[in-house]
Amino acid sequence: MDWKSTEQASMERHAPNHSTSTSSSIHATENTVWADASPLLETVCKELRDGELIHGENFNLYAAMSALEIMDPKMDSGIINKYASVDEAIEDGLAPVPISLDKTVDVQCIIDIIDQLLACEATWHKGHSLAQTVFSCAYLLRPERTLSHALLDSYCKVIRATCKAVNSIVSDARTHEEEDLFTMAYGLPLNVEGDEKCLSLLNAVEENISRQLRACKAPPSKRKLLEDIEPLQNNFDLEEGYCKALLCRIRFRKHFCHVLTCMRRPQGRGLELARKHIASCISELGIILKSEEFLMSNAYGTCEDGTEDRTTASGHQAIGFDASLNSRISAPTPPRSIKILSWKKAIEYFENLLHHLDIICSYLLDPSLDVLLRFVAQFQKAQPDLVARVHLQLLLVQDGKLYGRYPILAVIIRAARLPEVIMRHDIQKNEYVVQLGQIVINMLKILCTNAAWQRRKLGKILQDWRAIYVQLELAFRKEFGEGSSIANGENASAGILKHILIWVEEQTYWIAHRFLVLGFELELYSPSEYCMVYWYLYVVLIRLAEKTHLKMTVSDGSAKQKGKKRKDSPKDLAREARIPPAILFLQCQICLAEGLALLLAALRNELMVLQSPSPFNSEHERFIQHFELLQKACIPDLISYPSFKESTSHARFSSLVMYNYFKDAQKIAKEVKNSFLNDPDRLAELCILEQVAEHNSVAVNVISRVGALDPSLKVSFEFIHHPCFATVVVKRS
Amino acid sequence: MEEGMEISSSTQAAESSSSDIVSRARKLLFRRMLVGIKDGRFFLGSFHCMDKQGNIILQDAVEYRNTHRSSPSSMEQRCLGLILIPSSCRTSCHVDCSIEEQLSLLKFQ
Repeated sequence: MDWKSTEQASMERHAPNHSTSTSSSIHATENTVWADASPLLETVCKELRDGELIHGENFNLYAAMSALEIMDPKMDSGIINKYASVDEAIEDGLAPVPISLDKTVDVQCIIDIIDQLLACEATWHKGHSLAQTVFSCAYLLRPERTLSHALLDSYCKVIRATCKAVNSIVSDARTHEEEDLFTMAYGLPLNVEGDEKCLSLLNAVEENISRQLRACKAPPSKRKLLEDIEPLQNNFDLEEGYCKALLCRIRFRKHFCHVLTCMRRPQGRGLELARKHIASCISELGIILKSEEFLMSNAYGTCEDGTEDRTTASGHQAIGFDASLNSRISAPTPPRSIKILSWKKAIEYFENLLHHLDIICSYLLDPSLDVLLRFVAQFQKAQPDLVARVHLQLLLVQDGKLYGRYPILAVIIRAARLPEVIMRHDIQKNEYVVQLGQIVINMLKILCTNAAWQRRKLGKILQDWRAIYVQLELAFRKEFGEGSSIANGENASAGILKHILIWVEEQTYWIAHRFLVLGFELELYSPSEYCMVYWYLYVVLIRLAEKTHLKMTVSDGSAKQKGKKRKDSPKDLAREARIPPAILFLQCQICLAEGLALLLAALRNELMVLQSPSPFNSEHERFIQHFELLQKACIPDLISYPSFKESTSHARFSSLVMYNYFKDAQKIAKEVKNSFLNDPDRLAELCILEQVAEHNSVAVNVISRVGALDPSLKVSFEFIHHPCFATVVVKRS
Repeated sequence: MEEGMEISSSTQAAESSSSDIVSRARKLLFRRMLVGIKDGRFFLGSFHCMDKQGNIILQDAVEYRNTHRSSPSSMEQRCLGLILIPSSCRTSCHVDCSIEEQLSLLKFQ
């Protein structure tokens, strides 16, 4: 950049004599003086041989390499670029108040500032530091200076208050490990006195502008009555346009502020109201977008760039911004120059954010963990950004309770399909049950993080789940051993533990399943590894289905015991014999995973394609790299690389055609769809699964018929329909 | 034997060539050093290392800057730790010493 030229300029300004004045103000120690060492050092440099250093005994070249290099633009955040300080920048006229004495220009400039702030805010949300984005605005940094300008002042206040609210919600959630720059607000005026009144001030300003708008729209006959209203600016032809442009921007801010406060209400009490504000926000954003044309055509002066990169609607550079103002307090970020999102991208970001927040608000706070987990997984599919995810997390876990409403043990008991009466039972004092509650909360929080972080953490917590299972099982044995010998009533806790144990296993497999699926989303698997991944997915899904089914039958069984007097109608019996739709849903995925694993194995065994001739590591090593965390937690038991080899080495097309797994999957999907008419998400998923299954079943037939004969046949696996179940594409090259 | 002799004599020669001046500069190590640079900032730290090119490393350095460039006014400071000041941006360099030392240490030629 042009730091070299500024460097030169500053060099001229700092004559050598200036340095003495400063060195005299930095005191030497008592009885000592600052002696000029430059001539000596200069001579020394000539004397030193190449590569020779002057250093003491404690010198260490490695340590010295970590020294911060002064004046290196990538390391030295303190370089004095344009301004030595914010005050100097302001004295230099960076951020005048009022911006212009011409009221029209003043209004235009304020709209630019508002737009630029929106772009900065979006950039902040996307992971840059607050100091380099929103607070690159000098008006925000000196709150007392804007006081005389009602519009500017109220807007600055609302921006600071919004940043503070978002910052605090993100730090409360503590899921920003990977986005840790976000909450760095050291040295920035986030807690300005008077900012809490921002909304009432903004309301007053809004009211005033809407009056001005009404005045300018009134017919000439009535205008006299309204003459006491001072117009927003001087050019009558532009009055309406500017009033409208300002109003939609102010209203957006106002509603956005409300959205944030409503969503933070405990126990999700503000969600309904939040949705109304979200809807208003989105509609105001639409009006903001439409104001672009008017603002561009009337921009003062010339617009330097009409490109897509512009950060304001008018295309004019906003006044009062300098990213280097805070470079020193933006530490620990390296002083990189960052690119502020364009105005259009910023609006797009906020539309997405609001849409994601709306999804959260429309969730009905279902006490069932099953429903909740499906909701979170579905929500994450839209890849929401940090701010939206954080809101979800804080909604889910409040005061150690689900939504701040249901004690986590009650949630577990419900998930394990035990009757609610058990809440009064001693079981909740069992230390392992209490621990279980903790790891459930932990899991919920992890599920709200970004995909990469989530996968890593899920892999790690699998061991906790395994450990708690083992502990609970021990406790169960103990209870059962003692209980059976004594009274019958004592058996109750053993029964409860048995239910919980089954559920813990099911949940563990659910986590393992999500861990594997996230690998597809993150594109961690290469085509030569698909075979082992699908095979592992298949074994995990089988266990998941087993445990879920077991949980259902056990709980149905105990319910039946309770209601023994009820007549066993033949209808009930028929229902019992049928496999529940939730299991069939899993069954369909099992068939797909198994089919894909065997198809891939057959391709490798017979056509010698998709083998993995990596010179760096063997297949076994890669198996371990991918599934180490699952293997460590014994998920599932007795599953290892040899068992994978064993079950795939004999795969042949002849057998694949005889028993077409994809046909099965397709059949199941078709049958079970009717059971999910009330569940649009799973219904949509089933339709996609059916599509993949149908497609792949045809592909298997094609490959087995012509594959061996036609070497030009190319088989590839693409995720065109489903994010994790590949569609087999057969092409002749 | 002869080789060894040669080496020892050459190191001796090197030592004698690392003249008075260099050893005088060595005496400055660990002293407080104040370095001014082009953009007007100053760095105060203990002298840690210097190479032939005149690049200086200071330990436990503190950065000082004027909040206004035009008039020497209030100073801002912050701690930086280990820093490397390239000779190209150095404009001044002072060491902390007593008055007597000042004469003996820095007089040369």
